[in-house]
Amino acid sequence: MTADGRTPLTDYSEDGVDLTLIRWFLSLTPAERLQFNQEHIDDIRAILALNAPR
Amino acid sequence: MPRGKFLKILGALHEANVEFIVVGGVAAVLNGAPLAAYDLEVLHSRHPSNLARLLPVLERFGPLDLLGTIGRNLSYEDLLPHSVEMDIGEGIRIRVLDLETLIAVKEELGGEKDRAVLPTLRRTLEEKKKLR
Repeated sequence: MTADGRTPLTDYSEDGVDLTLIRWFLSLTPAERLQFNQEHIDDIRAILALNAPR
Repeated sequence: MPRGKFLKILGALHEANVEFIVVGGVAAVLNGAPLAAYDLEVLHSRHPSNLARLLPVLERFGPLDLLGTIGRNLSYEDLLPHSVEMDIGEGIRIRVLDLETLIAVKEELGGEKDRAVLPTLRRTLEEKKKLR
């Protein structure tokens, strides 16, 4: 709960880990988790390639 | 949606009946840890018949991050009881190192990269236990 009594949008552990993100990721199947990771790293690699020194 | 590279490699290992366990970052992801895994690390049985099945996959996909042991000299046979079978789609079922053991291995290794992901792995394990 926040100071004004509302439920926060995100929940963090004492060591700063985003528990909301973990709960969402756990709600996916292993196949969906693998696909999400693949898309994520493909996007990052594409951005790195676009910004590579010429 | 096109098949991803990791899925293609894991599918090829599965189709070739290679005895292997996914370890490292991809194992963390498959176990539900929201991390970005750039490399596929595979612990394989070093039995000659398994190596013979593995070779054609290597020839097809190029060098993979293949490991004979991890942590304190732990082999495929040592870690098989600490792995879980997962369905990763398209009829592919693979063995993945369980989260408890993955945490223990990273704690033992103690490198900077290993320590950096430990808080996320530990909190993922806690949240996973709440779901059981």
